Amino acid sequence: MSIRLTDLTKRYNEQLVVNRVSLEIRDGELFVLLGGSGSGKSTVLRMIAGLTTPDAGKIELNGRDVTYLSPQARGVGFVFQNYSIFRHMTVLENVEFGLRIRKTKSNERRRRAEELLDLVGLAGLGARYPSQLSGGQQQRVALARALAYQPAVLLLDEPFGALDVKIRAQLRVSLKEIQRQLQVTTILVTHDQEEAFELADRIGVMDTGRLIEVGAPETLYYQPDTEFTATFIGGGNVLVGRKEDKWIRLGSVALPLPPEAAHTDNGAPIRILFRPERTILQSEPFQDRAIQVLGQGEVIEQIFAGAVQRIVLEMEGLRGVRAVAPRAVYGQSVTRIEVIQTGARAAENIFTLGQKVWVGLRDFHVLDPAGLKVLICVSQDASGQLAAEMGSLLAHATHGPATLLHVAARPELAAQARDYLETVRRAFAAQLPGLDVRVRVGTSAAQILLEAQEGHYEVIALGQSASGDTGFRGLGSTARQVLEQAEVPVLLTQTKRVSLKQILICTRGGEPGKTDVAFGGRVARRADAAATVLFVQTEQTTPEEQKRAARHLLQAEAALAVQGVRGKIKILDGGIIENIIRQADADDADLIVIGAQAPRGRPRLRWQNFATQLVGAAARPVLVVPMNE
Amino acid sequence: MTMTTALKPSRVPRGLFPVGILLAVMLPLILMPLASIYVFAARSGLEGFINAITSPEAQFALRFSLLIALLTAIINGGLGTYTAYVLSKYRFPGRDALNVIVNLPVAIPTVVVGTSLLLLWGPIGILGQFLVPLGISPMFAPAGVLLAHLFVTFPYMLGAVKPVLDELEVTYEEAAYTIGASQLEAFRFVILPALRGGLFSGALLTFAHSLGEFGATILVSGNLPFRTQTAPLYIFAQFEAGNIEAANAVAAVLATLSFVLFFALMQFNKKSARA
Amino acid sequence: MSERLLQLNWSRVLGRVVIVLMVGALAFYAVEPWLPWNTPTRPRTIVVYGFSILGDVMNKGIFPAFQKEWQARTGERVEFVASFAGSGTITNQIILGVPAQVGILSTELDAQRLVDAQVLTEPTWRALPHNGTLNLTPFVILTHKGNPKNIHDFSDLARPGIGVVHADPRTSGGAMWGILAEYGSARQLGLSDADAANQLAGIWKNVVAQASSARGARTQFENGFGDALVTYEQEALYDIARHKFDGEIIYPRSTVESEHTVVVIDRNIAPAERAVVDAFVEFLWSKQAQNIFVQYGFRSVDEALNGDTFARIEKPFRVSALGGWQNAKQNIIDALWKEKIIAVQPK
Repeated sequence: MSIRLTDLTKRYNEQLVVNRVSLEIRDGELFVLLGGSGSGKSTVLRMIAGLTTPDAGKIELNGRDVTYLSPQARGVGFVFQNYSIFRHMTVLENVEFGLRIRKTKSNERRRRAEELLDLVGLAGLGARYPSQLSGGQQQRVALARALAYQPAVLLLDEPFGALDVKIRAQLRVSLKEIQRQLQVTTILVTHDQEEAFELADRIGVMDTGRLIEVGAPETLYYQPDTEFTATFIGGGNVLVGRKEDKWIRLGSVALPLPPEAAHTDNGAPIRILFRPERTILQSEPFQDRAIQVLGQGEVIEQIFAGAVQRIVLEMEGLRGVRAVAPRAVYGQSVTRIEVIQTGARAAENIFTLGQKVWVGLRDFHVLDPAGLKVLICVSQDASGQLAAEMGSLLAHATHGPATLLHVAARPELAAQARDYLETVRRAFAAQLPGLDVRVRVGTSAAQILLEAQEGHYEVIALGQSASGDTGFRGLGSTARQVLEQAEVPVLLTQTKRVSLKQILICTRGGEPGKTDVAFGGRVARRADAAATVLFVQTEQTTPEEQKRAARHLLQAEAALAVQGVRGKIKILDGGIIENIIRQADADDADLIVIGAQAPRGRPRLRWQNFATQLVGAAARPVLVVPMNE
Repeated sequence: MTMTTALKPSRVPRGLFPVGILLAVMLPLILMPLASIYVFAARSGLEGFINAITSPEAQFALRFSLLIALLTAIINGGLGTYTAYVLSKYRFPGRDALNVIVNLPVAIPTVVVGTSLLLLWGPIGILGQFLVPLGISPMFAPAGVLLAHLFVTFPYMLGAVKPVLDELEVTYEEAAYTIGASQLEAFRFVILPALRGGLFSGALLTFAHSLGEFGATILVSGNLPFRTQTAPLYIFAQFEAGNIEAANAVAAVLATLSFVLFFALMQFNKKSARA
Repeated sequence: MSERLLQLNWSRVLGRVVIVLMVGALAFYAVEPWLPWNTPTRPRTIVVYGFSILGDVMNKGIFPAFQKEWQARTGERVEFVASFAGSGTITNQIILGVPAQVGILSTELDAQRLVDAQVLTEPTWRALPHNGTLNLTPFVILTHKGNPKNIHDFSDLARPGIGVVHADPRTSGGAMWGILAEYGSARQLGLSDADAANQLAGIWKNVVAQASSARGARTQFENGFGDALVTYEQEALYDIARHKFDGEIIYPRSTVESEHTVVVIDRNIAPAERAVVDAFVEFLWSKQAQNIFVQYGFRSVDEALNGDTFARIEKPFRVSALGGWQNAKQNIIDALWKEKIIAVQPK
């Protein structure tokens, strides 16, 4: 293994730029890190070169731990986007520089430099100064310079970014050839998909500091695991259907569920990807059994671009099916898909706007389920057990990946904690096969919050132990701190529930109320649970607020319907807590969702008391959703 | 070397009149005063001129001026380059403030610089009152002149080098690091050569300004012939004493030296602009 | 291409060599006096700060004479380091700490400032011969050749249309003497206090150029500024002797004789230098030195030496006639000139 990165992490001013990137790159491989600007790809490269120091994680080059070595000691070749060749040195001197530093004999140096200039196609230009070269030539010099001292790995940071298209294409070919010839392990960073696909043996897709997915170009294109890759690379149609036994239900259409698709429960959402060029359009119904029929669509847009013809269709049969891509246009009611016809087909089948055509799929791909990502904070007591149970129930119901986290107070307790978490994990393995385990050392609340941020968790699950007659002692200090500062919803559990079928969303009137309804609805949709949206009006509620609340509830009902959640709305009069409990009992709600005031605002304290009371009194799990006012 | 192709403008404005006005302004403003130095020098004859120049006092003043200018250029060359490097490369709190402070000497009247040095190092100064009894007295001594010149000319080196450094991408240095050069090697082989032009013109500017420095020098030097009297001070002293020939001869030498320096600078800038 | 490059390189190399040689030569020229073989054992030095018009007489007359005398007496070489500027300027410099050992000031007033600034512990110059007064010179008026504006006395300077060149009393002792002359002569000739003040104001209305020292003022006048210059008689005599001044000396009927004060700054004299400095100060009042002063146009404190070298002045007076320097400064310079004349005149 030439390059091995383990949990590489970098923050700039509290901002996670690179977030736990782990990656292995094989000897002689040409690996491309692909991502948009700010995705952290360049930072990863700079950390490998030693130009940036990682905050955490490990970098190994050819089995040697170089994490904290200086760039000079790493022996990597680095090519910068802006060439950065030394302008007071001739081309030859530039290429020789690395050898000069290494005190190589001058004739050996000269021989090697000439050889490299030949290799990069600059033979005979050694006596020139950089100012006498074109940008493409300068970048070739930079490449030769980086290769001169036979580096262990070659790193290229957007090397062609500053060049025009034609030169770029030439250089790509050269780079690929040279890389093949020298067999030097190479990482190239780019935002250019075409470049990535043309060059890469494997591609790593990065987004907001995370390495989303790694794979061969074809795999990433046709069989990506994640929605991000599916939509980021190339054009694609991503539709959300539901599982029905061995079928994927998309409106009135059913596609056969491929056997290799990850296991999900019936009714759970399934996202499928099909590329525009993997579709077939024809005016007659399909006879070929190998083709999956998507029904009839109406041509609403047609762009002829020479070799290809791009068509947008409205699929009546897919009405109501949510499309992740192409993004729904505002006011659009019927699901649209994008189709590309190539070659002979593009020439033969010229469709007119408004024409009805049959759409078939040569193949499609099922994306990995994306449920709520749950961080389950487990302590070694009864409350930890509760958190584990309810957290995994939530993760299971919403098809989300989950992690068991234990915070050890001291480093020496970590090993023992890991063992404990292993036993917990095994207990839930049947229900949640992908359950992850993590141990951190430090103060509970701080470590929980840090982990939640770094791991992009969507829910934090905490247990609350019950005791005595009241059954509740109030929130512990950890829970209180997490509640105060968490940017994501927090699940507080002090009684066990066996399923997640009924959700009570307690909303406040007006704008901030939308967050709790939206999140509660999301949980309900993913868990396929029914929801009740409740508004409690008290004596203090003014007629205006009542009117606003009524409007808000109607909107909430519509929003739930759009998400495909069975829901009802309710307005009750009287004490807030009493009414919530009464309604929860009436529904036998498995989960109560309440919105919390802005976490850092002043009203926090009042609300916190309220949440505490509710957790104590309701004897049901409570999901507290922070609202941004 | 690349040739600059002369671009023929489509329409050359026939500008004899504006040029005439310009000349009419420049003539009495700049050209004639300068010319009169040489006219006067010529009037006293070659012998008189040589006598005036070779008088021991004049010789001392000229050599002392050159020595101080040389030392100033060398010391501020190093100091200014280092300051520019730190200011350009490192980010630290107070960097902006420091940036202003190091450029301050340009804005401060040189007389104020002299006064401030006296009030620090002089026998009644803040530090001087303790140092002078110990026999350390930089004021009214060559060291004081050097201190004043270092102060006054500090920004010139910085001003010449820092823009070049600022323009130099971070990756320029980083490239050297990844190739295997140590920080010292990177500075020596990569940064310094890139700065050559800035260093040269900065040193030349510093030298020229030091050669002509008057305001601060007259205060801190004590104006002692054969000890601390620089050429400009000599000129002033001789002029005040009515020895116009003596003053003018040295003035002519100083002016000529400045012309040569200036043309060297112009020539150099032209060359580096072409490269 | 490569041949051309080669040729180009040759001329470049040659150019570089020339430049390096030139710079090297310049550097050597500058550094040479400080190189080890050029610094023989340091001779004894005496640091003298003098007011402006003393420059020539000291550098060309007194210093060489004393050097000869000292060498004859002790066999030792003595060097002088001397700086000449306006009396006020050198007084300020001495206060700020220049290493002056002997100061020659154009007024006793500046000497008194040294006492006030604690440079001198007390008026030590009073213990020197003639109360520290080194020599004298009356204040006269210089005009251009032929006296075209027909100026005969200070009162003429107050006439409208006359341009007067004057040193600045704030930095020049000579200028203060000038004010005393302009005012005091009127009093000596029997004018009232108010009329004398009017005369002074009239003269200053006519001032067209102010230099920081008496020498500077003379240089300005010689360069063609103004119609008249109020200055030391010595200036005019010395320049006429050297054929440098081609104008007229106008002797007013009455004028002040300036007294120039020698101060010895003890704190700047190392014990080892004491003897030579004292010998020099003593030498200043010797017959030989006083004769040199007379040669250079100063009137000696020893009347006998003056002989008939100098023109007669009808009613000369000294500052004592105005109640001494302290009073003259307070009443004439500060209260009258500074507050009533300069302050109200647009400059």
